[in-house]
Order: sequence, then structure tokens, then C-alpha cells
Amino acid sequence: MRFFISLVLIIFILLGTRLAYLQVIRHETYWMQAEENRLRILPITAPRGEIYDRNGRKIVTNRPGFTVSLVDLGDGYSDAMIAELAGLLEMEKEEIRDRIRAQFFRRWLPIRLKIDVPMEIVAVIAERRMELPGVLIEVQPIRNYLHGNFASHILGYLGEGTVADWVEEHWQQYGYYYRAGELVGQAGLELAWEPFLRGKDGGIQVEINSTGQAVAKFEGVDPQPGHDVHLTIDLPLQLAAEQALNETVERLQAEGNDDAGEAAVVILDPQSGRILAMASLPAFDPNTFRRDFPRLREDRRRPLVNKAIEGHFPLGSTFKMVTAFAALEEGVVSHDELVRCAGVITRYGATKACFRRRAHGAINIVEAIAKSCNIFFYEMGLRVGIDNLARYSRDFGFGSPVGLQDIFGERRGIVASRELKRELLNEPWFPAETMDASIGQGFQSSTILQLANYIAMIANGGIHYRPYLVEKIVNHQGETVKLAAPEILRYVEARPSTWESIRQGMIAAALPGGTAARLAALPVSIAGKTGTAQVVGGDSPTPLPPHHLFAAYAPVEQPEIALAVFIKHGGTEGAPAVRVAQQILEHYFKTAPAAEAVAEGEGEETF
Amino acid sequence: MFDRRLLKNFDYPLLLITLAICCYGLIVLSSATQGLSSDPLFFVRKQATWIGFGVVAILLAISIDYVNFYRWSLYFYALNLLSLGLVLFFGRDMGGARWLDLIFFDFQPSELAKLIVIITLARLLADCRERVNRFWSVWPFFLHIVPVILLIMLQPDLGTALVFVIIFFAMLYMAGIPVGHLAIIVAAGIAALPLFWLQLMDYQKMRLLVFLNPGMDPLGYGYQLRQSIIAIGSGGISGKGLYEGTQARLQFLPEQHTDFIFSVLGEEFGMLGAVLLLVLYFCLIYRILKIGAFAKDSFSALVCTGVASMITFQILVNVGMAIGIMPVTGLPLPFMSYGGSSMLTNMLAIGVILNMGMRRQKIQF
Repeated sequence: MRFFISLVLIIFILLGTRLAYLQVIRHETYWMQAEENRLRILPITAPRGEIYDRNGRKIVTNRPGFTVSLVDLGDGYSDAMIAELAGLLEMEKEEIRDRIRAQFFRRWLPIRLKIDVPMEIVAVIAERRMELPGVLIEVQPIRNYLHGNFASHILGYLGEGTVADWVEEHWQQYGYYYRAGELVGQAGLELAWEPFLRGKDGGIQVEINSTGQAVAKFEGVDPQPGHDVHLTIDLPLQLAAEQALNETVERLQAEGNDDAGEAAVVILDPQSGRILAMASLPAFDPNTFRRDFPRLREDRRRPLVNKAIEGHFPLGSTFKMVTAFAALEEGVVSHDELVRCAGVITRYGATKACFRRRAHGAINIVEAIAKSCNIFFYEMGLRVGIDNLARYSRDFGFGSPVGLQDIFGERRGIVASRELKRELLNEPWFPAETMDASIGQGFQSSTILQLANYIAMIANGGIHYRPYLVEKIVNHQGETVKLAAPEILRYVEARPSTWESIRQGMIAAALPGGTAARLAALPVSIAGKTGTAQVVGGDSPTPLPPHHLFAAYAPVEQPEIALAVFIKHGGTEGAPAVRVAQQILEHYFKTAPAAEAVAEGEGEETF
Repeated sequence: MFDRRLLKNFDYPLLLITLAICCYGLIVLSSATQGLSSDPLFFVRKQATWIGFGVVAILLAISIDYVNFYRWSLYFYALNLLSLGLVLFFGRDMGGARWLDLIFFDFQPSELAKLIVIITLARLLADCRERVNRFWSVWPFFLHIVPVILLIMLQPDLGTALVFVIIFFAMLYMAGIPVGHLAIIVAAGIAALPLFWLQLMDYQKMRLLVFLNPGMDPLGYGYQLRQSIIAIGSGGISGKGLYEGTQARLQFLPEQHTDFIFSVLGEEFGMLGAVLLLVLYFCLIYRILKIGAFAKDSFSALVCTGVASMITFQILVNVGMAIGIMPVTGLPLPFMSYGGSSMLTNMLAIGVILNMGMRRQKIQF
């Protein structure tokens, strides 16, 4: 025991000696330091990872910007100073006070008041340094979206708003623990890939003088830049798609269609699931998002919604290949069976018609696809029955998300079925509804990504690849930390003759006599299908123009792209969706714009 | 069950010193937590409640003959492994160490584990007293403590794990194991470190490196350390006075009510206040060791050694950290730092010691 007591005594004497050294000998030094209380940490924001297109073209980068912060000098803040800052920074006084309060327990860190302050304001603040003690100007990286509202729904935007719990949990899986108030991705890739894009902030211990300027620096940590994201997106193709959509929608509006304005395009590589382009109108500019937000929020066309994945719509006649596929695979029709189309049909008490009640006469399945004959597909729908039709719809990826994980928000859409109707309305199924379902109307509803994916499946012979946007993630040292690979989610088997008939119908649609005949001028062979989706309801007194759709793949022999175009309330006049597709295909296959061809049989109607 | 005659040997000074340190802690805590909550006495009231429960724990611990602790040793050991295992699966991570949610409060099993290990190891050592001279008879003691340390390492709480190592060697020394044997064990342990290192996850390695060299984390520990030294040094001989500490007042000291409570004390009460605390601690440890010296059996002598080494080591590490001579760890200052688990464990330990002290002689009729 004596040994232990001596040991304890030695330890206590050691502690006491050190105390005497600090509190008696060095007292003066430390007392000065405490009086000044000038030791702070200045965080250094890590630059976010950059975003590139598939060929390494830069899409999103960072530029230096000025951040105005407040350093706590220990004597509080005068009302006059807060008022002056509020005026200079165009902020509410209360907002500044809130930020000061929010950081009360972390007073050794500067309070960030405003990022990306314009040069002129920074100059004024620098001039009045003496009147604004503790105001600190730092240079920090600011996100720079090089092409403005280019691909805004894919890229997303940054903000300081709180994020949903599930987003926080998702980020935690990748090692990022979010703290309220941090500048983080709020949508698109910026949100989904936040843990990769954001780097690790650094910082430095500094001693500040009485005005809040750093006069001495101690040890610190360098910031680590975030990882770069390389996309599957092809920048020129995406630009072409957005331009085509914009021009078409503007033309529709100029022609007096006030309901037009929302539209979407999805372009897939049918051999891999890579998304080459995905555009949604109206778009927004992530650079000025904060300023534009009040306007964006009010816009009834909902610019913040990605129309390609976050909305689902009736596909109209673009759906007819599912019905054709079901009929051929179930063996209820042969490749050359002729069905008579009189323009109008009355079955089960419902009278339904072809476009403009035009009679197609005796027509086989290939012609029916090419000319989009409703009567033929009503008949096919009734022959296979709703249960089979629902099953084949699901086989083509309808009714559930097609698996895009690189950005969030993909909707599942709706597949018309007995179960659905019972669940929704608690009513039995009527055969007349099968007729609607078989031409992509009625209950049927899908995302534009689902439409593109189903066209890609027709192009590649039934393989459902997971659509993806992120090709690889590269860290700052240039090492690839994550590399995507095509992933097959589903394989739909069918007789080769079934695929053949469907493709022949789609090829014929894009030839003279077909519904998308204007594409015949293109130098490559195209397989396509138009669609017009009637809109039921709506609160306007006049009926809303129908949605116009077009889906296609090309070249037929060796499909490189599968695309889906959707013009909400585009109407059939001038086949706007086909025009958009034409512009995109012209760009892709590097041809001069075709001469304005007046096509026959353009557009169609579904009742 | 409780015999008045037992009070004859009751160590009143030990109880009084314990309560004095607790009260001293409350005063410093009231300053350290100014402004931390809208209710200025929120933390003080909670800590006072813990002290209250601690006194109850002391009463419970002295009311049963300590022979029962010896008897129940195996159950204690099982309970210990169970709670440490549970915390790995159901524990809540609140920055380093882990807590078990016991509905009415969050409990840190690694705190109570210290006391349990002291008792169970004391029994094992007492039972094997005749054989401790042989080198190979050391291995059961190892087997006894290694699972506990491993479970705590997994949390990972390296500071607390180290407390167990210190307790272990102090008690082995007390049990009469030759110093040469202990030296060989230490050497073997150091030789095995690289193997252990390879088993660690990257973030655990990082924590360990920062633990050994706080300069690697200048924005966290490095900053805390610098601020703590400024606070203590600026206190001078007599201190700035209660509630007058500018460092503490400005919230520039992170964790000042838990890990860095000594910095607040040093700033506001100066060297006189700090030395007063050290003197109180020394008296406390002295009383514990004295009870151990007069113990009637080796079991209680070993428990006293264990508790004394536990308290001494925590004081050394916590105060040493605040004055910059020890690495930054999350070890609380006994009876001073804010926190229920540590307070209850330390009070319970004092209760066990008091129990051993008052039952050190056969009852005189």
C-alpha cells in the first residue's frame, strides 16, 4: 500500500507542478490571450466535385466567390452594425440575428451570412472595415452550372434548406452525416450523389485582431475536393433535345396553344441502358435558383418537376406495340390476318372510332401499327383480355419504376387491371375498358422514361437494362472509385416473328403512308410510333388539346438510340412530337434539316 | 441485517470527502453550463439528482455484507459481458462512447463495467492467491479481462479500455505477482500491437492516431487543447471568480461541462481552487488505500486497490488532458464531470469501499 500511496502522491505533485507552471509562471501570457480571446477556427470549404458528360466535356464546375461572415469578437453585435449589414447584403435584420443565434454554441466558428456576394458590395464592406468589426470576407468556391438551365432536372441545385429524413439516411450510408444549415444538393444528381460530390472541408486555427482580421495562423487541415462525376449524358445531344423541345413548345404557344409548355424527352442507348439525354420543360437555372425560387414555385407548369420521371401520363397509341405483342404471343392473331376497319366500332355498348373516323379497310397487324388503327387494336385487346394485357404491360416495365437510381423520384405509373380498378373504385372490370387500355388510354399511365425503356426493349429484343446516368466517379487523385456497368433487370422472351412484325409496323410508320412519314427523309432507317393521348377532365371550359407523343429507335439494323418525346397538350396539329424527334435524329445522324415535307396521315385520334 | 455496531468502523471522512467533491463539482458545473440551456439550472439539477441516486447507491452498497459481492461475482461477470454486448447492437452513438437506452435514462455500461471487473477480478485473484508466483498461473486473469476490454474496444472507447488495463496491472501487482512477470506481460502486449493494428477499421485507426497525436486533428482536439490551456493559465493563482471566467462564458470551450470541467475550475478558481480539488482527491484515494491496508481479507484489499487505481488514473488522464500533458480522451473526472453513469458507478464504488471498511473486523460483542 505504501507503494501505491507514493505513486499517487507523485502523480498529484506532477499535476500540481504543471498547474503552477501554467497558472503562475505563464499566467501573464495566457491571461492576455484569454482577454483578447482571439483564437478561432476558419473553415475552408472544399470545392465540390465537377460533373462531366460522357466524353469528358465539363458541365458543372466551381468558380471563386466572396462569402461574408461574422467572427465573434466576444462583445455582441450592435444593432447599427446588423442594420448596416442587412442593408449591404440585402438581408432581413432578423435573418442575420437568426444566423447568429443558430451558432451560439459554436462561437469559435465564423457565422456565414451570405455566399457569392457581388464584387461591388465586397468593396464597400472592405472600405468600411473599421465600422464593421468582426466582418470577414472569404473567397470560397461557388457552384457554376456552365450551361445555365441545361439538364437542370438531372443536375439539380444546391441549397441550405433542410432535407427529408430518408435523404439523410441515404447520405449516411455513404458516410456523410448531414447537419442542418449545410449547403447541400436539394435535387437531381447534386442530392443523390451528395456524399461523393461534397469534399471534406478543411480549416485553420487563427488568431484574429480587434477588427476580426486573421493576424496569426496555427495548424490547420487542407480541404479535400469532392469526387468528379462522369455522366452517360451526351452534351451536344442533350442540348439538341432541349433546343428542339424549346422551339417546338414556343411555336405551339405562338400559334395560340396556351396549354402547351410542358414537355419531356428521354434518349436511351438500347444496348446498355445509358441515358444519353433527358430533358424536361419548363426548366430552371440552378445558378440563379435561390433568386428565382419564388417565381418557380408559383409557376403552374411546375418547372421543378422532372416531367420525364416524376410525372406519368397516358401513352396513347405509342402503347399499341404492347397490345400487338400480347396478341401475337398469345396466338390470338396471325401475322397476316386482316381485320376490317370501318372507322367506327360499337362493342359492349360503347362506340369507338379511328382518327377522324377514317376507315382503314381490311388491315393486318403491320399496317395497323403503321397507320395506328384503333379498331384493329380494340379487337386485339378484347381477344387477349385485360389480364394478359396487364401482364405483358408489366413485362415491358410499366407499372413499376424501371430502376433509375442515379437520381431520385422515379414514378411507377399505372397499368390498367382488374385489381387496380377494384382497389381504386371498388367496381368490376368492363370489356369496354379493355378497349381503352389496349390503345394506351383509360387507366394506363406511364412515365416518359418507361416509354423510352419499352422502345429500347423492342429495339434490343426484350432486354430491360437498368437506365443509368452516372458512368463513373473519379476522385481528386484521378482514381476511379466507382464504375457503372450495364445491368439487366429483365428479359422478355418472344418468337422472332413477333418482334419482326412489331418492328415492321414501326418502320412502316416512319415511311410515306405511316403516321410519322416526315421522318422518311432521314438518311437512316427509323422504327417509330406516334401517340395522341386524350385528356379527360380538366377545369377549362374548352377541352384541353391532347398530349402528343412519339417514340422511336434508330438505326433499325443496329439500334444506337431509343427515344421518347412527350409534348403535354401539344395537340396533333403539325405533329409536334415527331418534329422534335426529327430535329434530334437529324442532329444525331448529322444531317441537314430535311425539307418541310407535308406528310400524309399525320396524327391520329383515339376515340 | 444492519447492525449499529458496524458504524464503529465507518469511515466518515471518506464519505464526507466524496460528498465535498460532488458539491464542488456542482458549483463548477453551474458555471460551465451557463447559457447551455434556457433553464440555467437544468444541468445542475440533473447532476444533483444523480448525486442523490449516488447516495442511495452508497446506502444500498453498505447495507449488504460485502461477502455477497464475492459470492455473486460470477453473475456480475455475466451481466457485464451481456450489457457490453448489448450496447454494441442496440447502443446509441453519441460521439465516441455508446449508451444503452434504459427508458428512464441513457446508461453507459462501460462505466459500471469498471467496478464489476474490479470485484470479479479481485475474487479470482483472491482465490488463486497461493499460485500467483508461478508465471503460467497468470493466464486465467488474462482470460478474465480480455473479453471485457475487447468489447469496449469495439465500441470503440479506447480511453476506457485503457482504464481497465491500468486497473488490471495495479491489482495484479497488489495480488503479489512478481514485477518481472508483469514486465514480461507488458512487453508481450507491446509486441502484439501491430497484429491488433491490422484488425482495426480505418476510422478506428484514425481515432487511435488522433488519440496519440491530437495535432492531427487541429480543428477538433487540437483546438480544444489550446483553449483549455489558455483558460487554466489565465486563471492565475486565485482565479477570475465564479461565473467570471471569460473562456467558459463565451462558449469557446467545447464539452466544458463533461470532459473539460477542470478547465472551467482552473479558470474561475485559479491554482488555489485546482489544488484544493487535487488535495481532496488525494485524501479520497488515501482513505481508500488505507481501508485496503487494514482489510481483513485479500478480496477487499484488492477491491480497494482497483478502485483507487481507477480513480487515480481517470484524474491523471482528465486533468492531464486539460493542462496539456496527456492526450485528449473522453474520460470523465470522477465526481466532477456531468454524467449519470460515471457518477453512479463512482458512488457505488465508494459504497463498496465503505462497506469493506466498516466490516473489516469481527463484530465486537
